[in-house]
Amino acid sequence: MHAVVAIKQVPDTSNVRIDPETGTLIREGVPAIVNPYDLHAVEAAVQLKERVGGGQVTVITMGPPKAAEALIECIEQGADRAILISDRKFGGADTLATSYVLARAIETINAELPVDIILFGKQAIDGDTAQVGPGVATRLNIPLITYAIAIEEFDLEARTAIVHRRVEQGIEVLQTSLPVLLTVEKEIAPVRHAPLPRLIAAARYQPEVWSATAPVVFDPQQIGLKGSPTVVGKAFTPEQRSGGEVISVADLGLNAVVARALAVIEQAHVRNLQPETGVVS
Amino acid sequence: MGMLTFDAIVVGAGPAGVAAALTMARGGLKVIIIERGRFAGAKNLFGGVFYTHALADVLPDYWERKPPFERPVTEQGYWMLSPDSVIRVMHKSERYRKEPADAYTVLRARFDPWFAEQAVEAGALLITRTTVTRLLKDERGRVIGVDTDRPEGSVYAPVVIIAEGVNNLLTRQAGLIASDLPPTHVALAVKEYVNLPAKELQARFGLSGPREGVAIDVFGDVTLGLPGTGFIYTNQSGISIGVGMLLSEFITHRLRPYEVLERFKNHPVVRPYLEGGEVREYGAHLIPETGYDRMPKLAGDGVMVAGDAAGMVDALHREGTNLAITAGKAAGETALAAHQQGDFSAAFLSRYRRTLEDSFVLKDMKQYRRMTDFLESSPHFMGTYVNLLNEAALRYFTAHGIPKREMEHDIIKMVRERRSFTGVAWDMLKLMRAMRG
Repeated sequence: MHAVVAIKQVPDTSNVRIDPETGTLIREGVPAIVNPYDLHAVEAAVQLKERVGGGQVTVITMGPPKAAEALIECIEQGADRAILISDRKFGGADTLATSYVLARAIETINAELPVDIILFGKQAIDGDTAQVGPGVATRLNIPLITYAIAIEEFDLEARTAIVHRRVEQGIEVLQTSLPVLLTVEKEIAPVRHAPLPRLIAAARYQPEVWSATAPVVFDPQQIGLKGSPTVVGKAFTPEQRSGGEVISVADLGLNAVVARALAVIEQAHVRNLQPETGVVS
Repeated sequence: MGMLTFDAIVVGAGPAGVAAALTMARGGLKVIIIERGRFAGAKNLFGGVFYTHALADVLPDYWERKPPFERPVTEQGYWMLSPDSVIRVMHKSERYRKEPADAYTVLRARFDPWFAEQAVEAGALLITRTTVTRLLKDERGRVIGVDTDRPEGSVYAPVVIIAEGVNNLLTRQAGLIASDLPPTHVALAVKEYVNLPAKELQARFGLSGPREGVAIDVFGDVTLGLPGTGFIYTNQSGISIGVGMLLSEFITHRLRPYEVLERFKNHPVVRPYLEGGEVREYGAHLIPETGYDRMPKLAGDGVMVAGDAAGMVDALHREGTNLAITAGKAAGETALAAHQQGDFSAAFLSRYRRTLEDSFVLKDMKQYRRMTDFLESSPHFMGTYVNLLNEAALRYFTAHGIPKREMEHDIIKMVRERRSFTGVAWDMLKLMRAMRG
């Protein structure tokens, strides 16, 4: 079993502030951590390895040299191999350029040792886009399951897996072929306290560093700022919305409340509702 | 997995622990440092003045290794604060301007990781986010390793150096200290880091550039006249400001530490220095005011204690990190000698204490052994006298058309009313005795 987990080092957003003048994140002095969802992805991969009785967990990240710390933390958590894709040329990448780089890297890793499953956290807490995982699945042309909360079955012989996925209405249970790419919720696996021998091994571990040209030659047009068509127009903290009108069933009765609510919604041009969709009996 | 075995275990990556680890790693020992914080220094806090002599002893080429110092201390002294006035006794000298300087202001979140990195470069293994929960002993009670909060978390070594800081649970567990420190022998310090642009900071403190800095210790109204001190230190682009008092004072007078600090920050003399600055950090930490007589035994079978855990603080001279580094080095050298002899007994390791007895660490602690008790039993120094001095200065410096002789009488009368001459004489005698040890 070979699992690849893509992770990101992020500023601890419980400490982060936005520069009111430039609208950018003030990263100075803010401690960097492994994106919390990604740690659960690593844990899920490690547990899967234990479940099937062996294999390898490879962790990759694209980031500055400092991101090696995040990889080492994943080694502590049980990953076997860590690759830091780091080059100034990758700087300024948006989700499109990032997913290109990660997809190419995973192809290379797959050529060395075939990959059965790829895991991402459901999103990074600094950008919250949730785009890179799906972007990589699309480029690799493999099945994608987002918001995964459990891997019920993982059959390497039949090359299938059954995965539970959180949706608004409940839980979807999906069967997929392998390899598959999952983006995971925290429920997928609780992060365990790493054993001391792992910490000691990790403290001595040096992640491999891949540049923009070796061992993979990335297309210079598709990486870094050049490969990033996204333009950030403005970054701001959304205004806090306050109160709003309270319509009480106790005061007006149910039908009057529904009618009033519909009137307000239509007035706001939010949606054009047919009357019958709103009638509650 | 086999047993995790090292030549030495160091508990805590503060100045004492790192100095010990660095010394042992350079001496060729296989050393592990176990730190409970996310990084070395994550749990550490001090006022902000770091003395370099001890660092130079343990790391002679420290200056070339670019330590993250804030500013050299080129001016220092005391402010004696009354509710609306201050008497300043400041010392500034061209001789403070040589670098590396004798003292620097330092932020521990920057300094401690740098210092720990030096030990790692020397070959020590630094493990963070791991708490040592207990000492492991053999059937004869000798320390043979430690247990941590990690799975498979036992580590073994013939010698353990405890540099766990002021909350010295392991020191107690090792049987080196009988009881918990009473609140009369622990100080609580609260501190804020207030951000200010370097240019603005320099203008306010009369500094000509980034290679100048001020360290001010403040007495009197800062602690509401109670035993304790405040401090104001300049960093590269920010001010460290704080107050420290004995825990017992906070308890007796029902004071909240942050309220005492807030009061200090809003003192009319202090406020202008902080104007427009942004508080970036708030912290609090205990300081052991253990004193020479209450210090733990520094060595047992297979174990030594250094730094705050052993109460190595000279509060009067705001020294601590230099005592810790010197002690860490001495403990490390003792461990090296023990490995050479193959003898880790308490008898052999007691040479650690003898080394410290011959150094400034225990000589100073011995000399000021009565200081904490003295300040507690002589409440007039921080309250009455500071206020008296300010009142006297006010009379001395103002012209009211009153004959000077009357003004002098006035001052003498005031002294009499607030503290009799015999009282003053008695206090001075006590002060002299406390200073002489």
